[in-house]
Amino acid sequence: MSDLPIGRPITRRPVGANITAVGVGLALAFGVLAGGAGWWQVVEAGRLTTAPDNPLVIATARTALRGQVVDRAGIVLASNERDANGEVFRVYADQAVSHVVGYASLLFGSAGLERTYAADLVGLRRDPVADLLRKFDPTPADPQDLTLTLSLDLQRAALAGLGADRGAVVMLDPRTGGILALASSPVYDAGGIANPATSRATWAALNADPVQPLLPRATLGRYVPGSVFKIVTAIAGLGSDAFAPDTIFPEQEAGERDGLVVSGFRIREHAGVPVRSYDLAGATEVSSNIYYALAALAVGGDELSDWAGRLGFDAALPFELPTAVSQVTNGGGDFGGGFKDAVELANAGYGQAETFVTPLQMALVAATVANDGVLMRPHLVASFSSAEGGVRPVRPDEVRRVLGADDAAAIVAAMRQAVEGTLGRQFTSGAAIQGIPTAGKSGTAELGGTGEPHSWFIGFAPADDPQIAIAVLVERGGRGGARAAPLAGALMRAYLVDGVGR
Amino acid sequence: MTGATARPLPAIVPGLRPRPRWRELQLLVLAAIALFVGSVSLGATVRARAAVAADAPLPEGALAPHDLTALLVYLGALFAAHLIQVLAGRRTDQVLLPAVGLLGGLSLLLMQRLPQSLAGQLGGLAQTQLIWLVLALGVITVLAVGVRSDSWLRLYKYTWAAVGVGLLVLTFIFGRDVNGARLTLDLGPISGQPSELLKVILVVFLAGYLSEFRPLLVEQSTRLGPLRLPPLPYLAPMVAMWAIALGIVVIQRDLGAALLFFAVFLTLLYVATARASYVVIGLGLFIAGSAVMYRLFGHVAQRVDIWLDPFADPQGAGYQVVQALYAFGRGGILGTGLGNGLPVVGGRLPIPEIHTDFPLAALGEELGLIGVLAILGLYLVVIERGLRIAASAADDFRALLAAGLSLVVGVQAFIIAAGNLKLIPLTGITLPFISYGGSSLLANALVVGLLLALSDRGVEPPPPRPPRSRLARIVDRGAR
Amino acid sequence: MDFFVLALWLVRLAFLAVLYLFLYTVVRALLRDLRAAAREPGAELGRLVVVASTGDPPPGAVFALDAVTTIGRDVNNTVVVDDPFASGDHAALTFRGRAWYVEDLGSTNGTYVNGSPVEGVAPLGFGDEIQVGQARFRLDRARR
Repeated sequence: MSDLPIGRPITRRPVGANITAVGVGLALAFGVLAGGAGWWQVVEAGRLTTAPDNPLVIATARTALRGQVVDRAGIVLASNERDANGEVFRVYADQAVSHVVGYASLLFGSAGLERTYAADLVGLRRDPVADLLRKFDPTPADPQDLTLTLSLDLQRAALAGLGADRGAVVMLDPRTGGILALASSPVYDAGGIANPATSRATWAALNADPVQPLLPRATLGRYVPGSVFKIVTAIAGLGSDAFAPDTIFPEQEAGERDGLVVSGFRIREHAGVPVRSYDLAGATEVSSNIYYALAALAVGGDELSDWAGRLGFDAALPFELPTAVSQVTNGGGDFGGGFKDAVELANAGYGQAETFVTPLQMALVAATVANDGVLMRPHLVASFSSAEGGVRPVRPDEVRRVLGADDAAAIVAAMRQAVEGTLGRQFTSGAAIQGIPTAGKSGTAELGGTGEPHSWFIGFAPADDPQIAIAVLVERGGRGGARAAPLAGALMRAYLVDGVGR
Repeated sequence: MTGATARPLPAIVPGLRPRPRWRELQLLVLAAIALFVGSVSLGATVRARAAVAADAPLPEGALAPHDLTALLVYLGALFAAHLIQVLAGRRTDQVLLPAVGLLGGLSLLLMQRLPQSLAGQLGGLAQTQLIWLVLALGVITVLAVGVRSDSWLRLYKYTWAAVGVGLLVLTFIFGRDVNGARLTLDLGPISGQPSELLKVILVVFLAGYLSEFRPLLVEQSTRLGPLRLPPLPYLAPMVAMWAIALGIVVIQRDLGAALLFFAVFLTLLYVATARASYVVIGLGLFIAGSAVMYRLFGHVAQRVDIWLDPFADPQGAGYQVVQALYAFGRGGILGTGLGNGLPVVGGRLPIPEIHTDFPLAALGEELGLIGVLAILGLYLVVIERGLRIAASAADDFRALLAAGLSLVVGVQAFIIAAGNLKLIPLTGITLPFISYGGSSLLANALVVGLLLALSDRGVEPPPPRPPRSRLARIVDRGAR
Repeated sequence: MDFFVLALWLVRLAFLAVLYLFLYTVVRALLRDLRAAAREPGAELGRLVVVASTGDPPPGAVFALDAVTTIGRDVNNTVVVDDPFASGDHAALTFRGRAWYVEDLGSTNGTYVNGSPVEGVAPLGFGDEIQVGQARFRLDRARR
C-alpha cells in the first residue's frame, strides 16, 4: 500500500494492511448475503410464493374464484356460491370428503386439498414473470379445476361401513398409487366453516367436540398396528435374506406351548394357534406372534428399521395432504435401529411395543406387496384443467422398488392363505370375496387396560392381479377378524364386483 | 484522491474558500434521477391499484411522482448539504454523501409506501421519517464542515467511555420495555434508543484505547502453554467488553446490539494488532457465551430455534421470519415494483415490524433480487470509502476511528440483513439509513459526518502526545 | 391500460437501471482513484532508512520518499537532521523518471554517497548509503 504519510517517520507496521483484510472480509460477508438473497428470491421463490399461507395466495383468493374439485366420475365436490352481500364462498357437495377436500375460509384459513393446492385453485401461476405482467389485468388468475382419483361413491360406502365408529378406510389402486377412498370417521361439516354465515359457530363447535372430528384419522391418526405389522416384518425378513419363505424356527414349538422367553420376558401366543413350528405362510395364516417375534430377532433392529423406512416409515409420506410419521420404535435405544432391547424388538415384530402407524401407511404396505414390491407415490389429483392451460394429467410416479418380485409373491401367497386357508378364515372371516382370490392380514391392536382393541385389516384383490389395496382401521372395534376384515371384504367386493367407483 | 483535481475558487469572503466538488455533484444528480424515477414508479403503481380497487378508470396523469413535495424537500436538503460543503472548501470525501443520500431516499420511498399510521407522531410515517432524514443530513453537514480537530475525541476517551456506560445504566434503570427488549429511553417528549449512540461512543473509546496501547498489545504477550495471550493488564478491557455485551443481552435483551458491539470490538482489535490469536480467543469467548445463554435464557433459545426452523410454527413464533421469506420469494428477480408488494393483507401487516426490522424484506419484494443486490452494493460503497479513509489516515487514532465507524455501519447492515434472510438468528437492530427511526438515522449521520471530517487531507496534524502527569496516569489506571 | 402497464414496466426497470448506473459511476471513480494513486507523485517512491545518527531522527527510523525530498537542519526540510555538522539546507533527493539522484545544496561539510563526496548531482541506487553530517541514511525500495 502506498498510503504512508510522506516525510513522517514510520515506527511500526501500518494498519493499512489489516484494514484491507477487514475490507475483504466484509466484502465476502456481503457476498454471502447476496447468495442468501439469491437462494430465497430465485431458487426457493416458486415454492414460497405458492405456499398456502403466503399472503399473495390469500389475497388472490379474496378476488379470484377458486377452481372446482370433482371426483373420478365427474361429481362436483367443491364449488363456489355468493352470499347476500355478493361475497364468494365455497360450498361442498358431501361431508364424506371433508377430510380430503378440506375447506377454504376467509376467517379460518384452509385445510385439505383446498390448502395444498390453494395456489393452483386460485390460479396463481408458478411463473413469476408472467404473474407480474398480469398484475393490472382485472381477471388476473387462471383458476385450475382439480379432478381426483377418488370416488365419492366408494368414499360414502366406506363411511357407511364405519358407521358410528371412529376409524379410517384407505383404498388405492396399487399399480398407480391413485387413491380411491380416504375416509376418516367422524366427518365434519366443511361447508359450515366456509360459509360466512355459519363459520364462527361451526368452527367453535368442531373445536370443542371431544371426538375430534377435524382430525383426518387416515393420514394424521397414529395407531398401534398389531398383527397387520407382521407384513412389514415379513418384507424386512425376506428382503434382507434373514429368512426364507420356508424357514422354520425350531424353537417356536416350545414357545407356542409355554411362551417365548426373550431376555427374561415371556411372550405368549394368542389363543387358538395349534402348537407346532410354522413357515412364513403358515405363521401368517394363524397370525403367530411367536413366529414373528423370532423373525424380528432374526432380522435385527437395524434391518427392521431400515426396511420400514423403505416403505415410508420415519418420515412424512410423499403425499398431497399432511401425514403423521409412522414409527417402529421411539428411537434413541442402542440395541440397533433405535430399539431399546431385544424385548422391544421382538414385540415390535408383531406390531406391539412402540410401533405406531397411520392407516395410509399400512395401505401403502399392502399396495407395495400387491404391486410386485414397487411402492407407487400415493396421490389424489388425477389431473388439473383450466380455461387457458387445458388438461394436465398427473402421471403415476414410482417412489422406489422396495422388494424383489419373488419375495413379494411369497408374501402374496402367505396373505392369501391368511384369508382363504382353513385356519386363516377363523381370523379373517368375511374378507374373502366370492369368486375372486383375496389376500390380506387382520390385526388386533392390544392397547392395555380394559378397552376393546383396535380392529385392523390390510389386503388387496384380486390376489393374482391386484386392482385395489385396502387398509381398514376401526378404533376400539374389537378383533380384526370381527370388524375390519368383513368391512374390507365388502368394500373390495363393491369395487370389483358391483363396480362402485369404477 | 478526492480533491486532487479541484482547485480552490477565489475567496468570496475572507476565510471562506469554496472548492467545487464535481464528483459529488455528478453522483448526487444520478441519485436524484433515481429517486425521481422511483417516486414516479411508486406513484403510478399506487394510483393504478387504487383505480383497480375502486373499479374506476385510471386518472389523468397517473405517471407522476408519489409525493413531489416530500421528494423535493429531501433532494433540496441533499443538495444544500453539497453546497455548504462546496462553500466550506474542505477536501473531504465526495462519494459518501451521495451513497448515503440514495439509501436515505430509498428509505423515504419505502416509508411513503407503507401504511402511514404505522408510527410517527409528526404527521405519519413518511413525514416523520422525512424530518429525521433532513435532520440527519444537517448533522452530517455540520460535522463534515465543522470538525477540524479530533483532540476532543482522542483526549477524553475515558470520559466518553463513562458517558457510554452511564447511558447504558440509565437505560437499564429508566428504560421502557418494547417487545420484551429494554431499549428505549424517554426524556420528556423525546424517546430514543441509546444503544445507537452507544455504538459511536464505543468506537471513539476503542480507537483511543487501542491507538495508545497498540505497541504494547502488538509486542508483548503472556504465554499460557501454547497460547499467546495479550498482555494481561491490557486484557482487562477485552473482558470488560465481553461482559458488557453479555449484560446487554441479559438485561436489555438486545441480541443485535451485543453482537454488533462485540464484532466491532474484535475487528478493531485485529486492525490494531494484526494478531489473529486475539480474534480466535474472542470468538471462543463468544461461542462459549452464546452456548451458556442459549441454555440459560429463554429469549435467546427461542430466537435460535426460530432461526433453525421458522416453518415449524409459521403462525406463531416463526411468523415474522416466514412472512419475510415469503416477501423475498414474491419479489423474485425483478421484484413486484415499488408500491406493488403485499405489506398489508386485508388491513393486517403480515410483518408487524416491517418499517424497523424488515425493511430489506419489503424492498426485496418490491425491487427484487436486483434491487437487493444494488442496496448491498451501496453499503459496500459506504464501507469501502470508510475503510479507505482509515487506510490513508494520518495516524493510528484516526485510522482506528475511521475503521471502527465504517465497521459499525457495515456490521450492523450485515447483521440485520442476514437476519432478514435467515442466515443468522433475527435480531432487532436497524438497517442503517433505511430503517424508520430518529435514533438510528441520527447515530448513523454522526458516523458519516465524522468519516467525512476524517477524510479531509488538509486537516491539522495530530497533536503531540501530551506529557503525562502523574495524576493523569493514576486517573487512567483507575478508569481502566 | 396496456400502454400504462408497459410504461410502468419501463419506469420500474429505469429505476433499477439508474441505481446500477450510480453504482457503476462510483466503482469507475474508485478504480480511477486507485490507478491514479499508483501513478501519483505523492505516492511512495522509495524509503530512506536512518542507519546511524547522533540525534533525531534516531537510527532505524524510516521515511517514505516523495519525488523531491530535502535533507537539512532547517525545519522546512522534508527530513530534518538534528546534527551540528549538517547545514540548514544540506542535500536533496530527487526521483527523475525511473532513477534516484542526490544533489548537494552547497553544504559546508559536503554530502557523501558510499563514502565518496557528491559533486553537484549524482545518481543513486537502492541500497546506497548517503551521509549528511554525522547522520547516515540508506535508500531502500518502496514497500508495495
